Amino acid sequence: MEITFKILRFDPDKNKKPYYRKYTVKVEPGMTVLDGLNEIKWRQDGTLAYRRSCRSAICGSCAMTINGVNRLACNSQILALKRKTVVVEPLRRFPIIKDLIVDMDPFFEKMSIIKPYLITHSPAGLRERLQSPEERKLLDEPVTCILCGACTSSCPSYWYNKNYLGPASLFKAYRFVFDSRDEGTEERLRIISDRDGLWRCHSIFNCVEACPKSLNPTYAIAELKKKIVTTKL
Amino acid sequence: MFYRWHVGTVAWVLHRLSGALIVFYLVLHIWVMSFLQKGPESFNRVMHLLENPLFKLLEIGLLGVVIYHSLNGIRLVILDLGYGMAHQKKMFWAVVVVGIVIFVLGAVPLYPF
Ligand code: HEM
Ligand code: SF4
Ligand code: FES
Repeated sequence: MEITFKILRFDPDKNKKPYYRKYTVKVEPGMTVLDGLNEIKWRQDGTLAYRRSCRSAICGSCAMTINGVNRLACNSQILALKRKTVVVEPLRRFPIIKDLIVDMDPFFEKMSIIKPYLITHSPAGLRERLQSPEERKLLDEPVTCILCGACTSSCPSYWYNKNYLGPASLFKAYRFVFDSRDEGTEERLRIISDRDGLWRCHSIFNCVEACPKSLNPTYAIAELKKKIVTTKL
Repeated sequence: MFYRWHVGTVAWVLHRLSGALIVFYLVLHIWVMSFLQKGPESFNRVMHLLENPLFKLLEIGLLGVVIYHSLNGIRLVILDLGYGMAHQKKMFWAVVVVGIVIFVLGAVPLYPF
């Protein structure tokens, strides 16, 4: 089946503004949007730029906007989209470096703001710091995150305020606040209750719709909100 | 650069719009009530103006706006407490259905014609 790919292109050295360019791709059942982009890059137009690495939804490189929703290109079958035209755009609200490649620095800066590492004050013992299976279970969702950025770039609060920490960073904060071994809760709660922190979340759920790993950052943010109002800071 | 409107997106935009409209109404309401200070005559004149069917219709509109904001506000509070996270869409449709029922019950007695 012939499918039209309508791709937002931008080369900062040549173009003033991003523009759409169309390509026709012969699609077989099972082909992903990433396969389609490869088909274009390898056989039609070598100048097309996009990120990918694992092609199996684990590296988080290929998040982009596909038919108006953020997804992973390698995880989205073209025919399952049920459209004759597939519109592919870079993740919005991140600066475009070239075509579908965006600058993820703002994303990872916000990730580091919340101190994404175990903080302990008590002296280390002779053995590991152990967790019960129940304690570990709380971390199942947040450790599944592949840092693709689909959620943060789908969030209207982030669209209107680029300083907002965003769902991915707050999700990472949850991963440590609810880690039974971590002793940096107060420090971290102070950071995320900043004016550009979690109070900017209006439970819109765009992040939940976008997450390719079917995670629920909104739930994590709600739990953090509760934690903050019940903790004396 | 179109981004899809999910159920939650619609709920949020409507909530913000309705919140702003209610604040706008509140200011208007206080202004109208301030005519009380100017004596019974001028207050009666304003009240008479408001008997116009147009204002009755606007009042019915306000009813709808307040109902949506309150019911969706309750949905948001429940979600913020961490309940029903997996059912936020169903909860939105419940807001719509319950809202329409309350709206009809309230709008019929207000209807000026
Ligand atoms: C039963 C009554 C009400 C409930 C349950 C309720 C609930 C809420 C909730 C939960 C929010 C936060 C939404 C968010 O985080 O995005 C909110 C926002 C807001 N409310 Fe209410 N509210 C009620 C009545 C009112 C009234 C009477 C007014 C106006 C005088 C009002 C004006 C607003 C405004 C302006 C916002 C901000 C909108 C936004 O940030 O998107 N609300 N309300
Ligand atoms: S929470 Fe989901 S959408 Fe957000 S960065 Fe992690 S994997 Fe991607
Ligand atoms: S290529 Fe690794 S997630 Fe898509």
